[in-house]
Amino acid sequence: MSATDVHSAESGPNPQEALVKFTMLLGGVVFLLMMVFGLIMRVAQGDLISLDPEIFYLLLTAHGAGMVGSAALSGAAILWFFSARHLNLRSSIYIAFLGLFLAGVVLILGSIFIGGYGGAWTFLFPLPAMSGGLWEAWAGVMFCVGYLLIGVGFLLYYLELGLKIASRYNGLLGGLGWRYLFANNSTDVPPPTIVAASSVLVFNTIGIVFGAAVLAASIVNLLLPSFEVDPLLAKNAIYFFGHVFINATIYMAITAVYEILPDYTGRPWKSTKLFIGAWAAVVVFVQAVYFHHLLQDVNMPAWTMAVGQIVSYASGVPLIGVTVFSLAVYIKGSGLKWDLPISLLTLGVVGWGLGSIPAMVDGMVSVNKLMHNTQWVPGHFHTYLLLGEVAMAFGFAAWLVRDKAVTILSNLDRLVFRAYVFGGAGFVLIFLWSGASSIPRRWAVHYEQWQLQSQLASGFALIVVLATLVLVVRYVAGLARRSQ
Amino acid sequence: MIRIVMAGTAFSIACSLQPLVGQDPVIHVLAQFPALILAGALLGGRFRLPQHFSGPALVLALVSLAIWMLPRSLDAALLDPVWMAAKFVTLPLCVGLPLAAALSHVGSVLRGFLKAQAISMLLFLGFLYTHAPMRLCNSYLVDDQQRLGLGFVYVACALILWWIIPVLFGHISSNKKDDDNDVSRHGIELR
Amino acid sequence: MKQVTFTLSAALLGCAAIWQATDGGRAVTAEGARRVQIAENPVHVPPVSLETMDGSLQMWPAQGQPILLEFIYTTCPTICQTSGGDFAELRDHLTDEGLDVPMYSVSFDPVADGLPELQSYGEAHGASGHPWTIARPEIDVVAGLLDLFRVTVIPDGWGGYKHNIAVLVINPNGEFAGAYDTRAFEDIRSAVEAML
Repeated sequence: MSATDVHSAESGPNPQEALVKFTMLLGGVVFLLMMVFGLIMRVAQGDLISLDPEIFYLLLTAHGAGMVGSAALSGAAILWFFSARHLNLRSSIYIAFLGLFLAGVVLILGSIFIGGYGGAWTFLFPLPAMSGGLWEAWAGVMFCVGYLLIGVGFLLYYLELGLKIASRYNGLLGGLGWRYLFANNSTDVPPPTIVAASSVLVFNTIGIVFGAAVLAASIVNLLLPSFEVDPLLAKNAIYFFGHVFINATIYMAITAVYEILPDYTGRPWKSTKLFIGAWAAVVVFVQAVYFHHLLQDVNMPAWTMAVGQIVSYASGVPLIGVTVFSLAVYIKGSGLKWDLPISLLTLGVVGWGLGSIPAMVDGMVSVNKLMHNTQWVPGHFHTYLLLGEVAMAFGFAAWLVRDKAVTILSNLDRLVFRAYVFGGAGFVLIFLWSGASSIPRRWAVHYEQWQLQSQLASGFALIVVLATLVLVVRYVAGLARRSQ
Repeated sequence: MIRIVMAGTAFSIACSLQPLVGQDPVIHVLAQFPALILAGALLGGRFRLPQHFSGPALVLALVSLAIWMLPRSLDAALLDPVWMAAKFVTLPLCVGLPLAAALSHVGSVLRGFLKAQAISMLLFLGFLYTHAPMRLCNSYLVDDQQRLGLGFVYVACALILWWIIPVLFGHISSNKKDDDNDVSRHGIELR
Repeated sequence: MKQVTFTLSAALLGCAAIWQATDGGRAVTAEGARRVQIAENPVHVPPVSLETMDGSLQMWPAQGQPILLEFIYTTCPTICQTSGGDFAELRDHLTDEGLDVPMYSVSFDPVADGLPELQSYGEAHGASGHPWTIARPEIDVVAGLLDLFRVTVIPDGWGGYKHNIAVLVINPNGEFAGAYDTRAFEDIRSAVEAML
């Protein structure tokens, strides 16, 4: 393989562009559909429609699995697209990844809407096996096998990325930038995208391995109930996997900011020691922080609580701090012309940063005991997903089909962007308000005194859905225009 | 020549373990099986396999190995002389030899996938053998079964270290096949 | 293309081989295989003489009705005691259903298990002789019986034995026709009812 960078931003078409555009279309449509599911759930909680609780839990499961899945898919597409600027990546691997991913999605949808599986996306042991007669064991098995297929797809994806990085940057330690960071070897320092790619592939591969192990154990338990799994061990493995996997979606999507912003500001995003050090911290922290999901499990050793609380604080600082601060520095005084892609990407970074604050609050043991099963937690993750990852993904999609002649926000773009921010912010603030007033999460039916919040949230959710609909239509129109 | 001698040595080690395998499944599965596979692999390394037979060879190896992973095959190899003979023939010739012959054709991603699969299967077997509510082999005790399960886990950990460290430090043997199939490179050339 | 075709054909053959090796996905352990094979090919049980806990000798198995049996040794500290309890539950289950099926706990260690041992094992588990009795064969037919019923007995290193335990069914023709988990009461009941 040649030792020079094969693509730079200006060197011509990206060989992965068609595949990535197709992926973003899939991701956008699924985001929209899952938002509609979310809207239905909020409307039902507000008692504006009557919805069978059984169907509520099917929608909850589909919403969770579908949102995590499409966040992962769009993040993976973004990372693949920009990694291909620096590496010779093979499209065949990406096609295999996409094929396995879609096969997994088919199984998951089948298990939910045909098999009636409603045990939530976290498949927490022994919930898949204890359905109370709502679904058969095969539906749980089908759900787990769907996850396994997606995991295999990601494994192929990361293997290709890892092998190409290792041979191009002299091992993964080179790709992580650790030779520069620790050995002060400043030859061939990897660009920010490669640092991010190396970090994500290291921790997400570990996460997927643990996820696959607990999935396989769950499948055996579903088929042969006498093979029991230690529930606490399973919970540890599941939340380790789940936390790492959902975080990886944002860590993959953030590369869009590293690569696109320089086009606008004319200042390249550099791999400084601070930047590489922040990513090194992420590799460690993202794996150590999952304990904050288990603060209510009294059997966990006390030190895990301490780690969960401390790392919850510490994990926000390195990368989010560095990225938000750097973004501000790069933008300030650059004479940047705001258009829709860069507005959405900036929103994504800001939403990601803000969204971590409720998590730090919930990461305190004393707060967690009161808040963890309230809507505070959905408030946290909807902030960093709806206003974070999803905003980045739509920003990237809009950038893919941008009209280079137009460098300003059109009136429609401005309206859509404002509607998305307004609706999204209102929606997540109501979750946080509801959580602070101890309204529980995951309840299909709400008491009358909780319904006002759900009704208000439904209004904001509707605004987000409409704005997203325009974003998707705009993307499709952009694809059609460019293919002519 | 030296390979044949080494293969013969591995095979005779496997034969010398035979009196012990009835009492201890760890020796049976984690010492004798690998020795037999290694014997075949040492023979197979010299084998020049046509490209289009590499897929079937790989499948043959994986299927044969899968059958030998069934607890009932372990029992049969101890109780039935035909199965015992089959063990000494099929593990070298249907697992080790085709595996070694096929791997030279296998691209690095598939190779990485096989390694990941091997590790996860070992951990999975480890889980099964340590958590099984009944004896899986009629010929072995539950304690032995659990020791074997832990053995699978230790082997998986060892393989993880063995395979991960080179990736971290960059001693990757760039595989020629990767560049032959390089779709993205064709994309660049077309430009 | 050629390679893909070859590999796919090999994979299909491979799946067929694994299907074959597991009796159609039904048995991955020797015990599972035993149960599948027995159900498909009943084996004639040659008559032997059994000494039951009341001290009488009988030619066994009697024909014309289904018989249930399990192999035990009375000094067994673990699995035989549990399965003794399971056998008692099975008897109650069948009696409640109005089924009167002879049940035998047969010792494979007739040297250590004399008449008093059989009786105390029966008392401990509530076997009254009818329909459930404890019995022992002559020492020289034990190996043949274990082989016929495919019971593997290995010393456990503590002076006892490990053996695969199951409820075995002999059909009215005197053929060994099925093996079940000791707590699969419903399955056993329907198997017995099908033979009546």
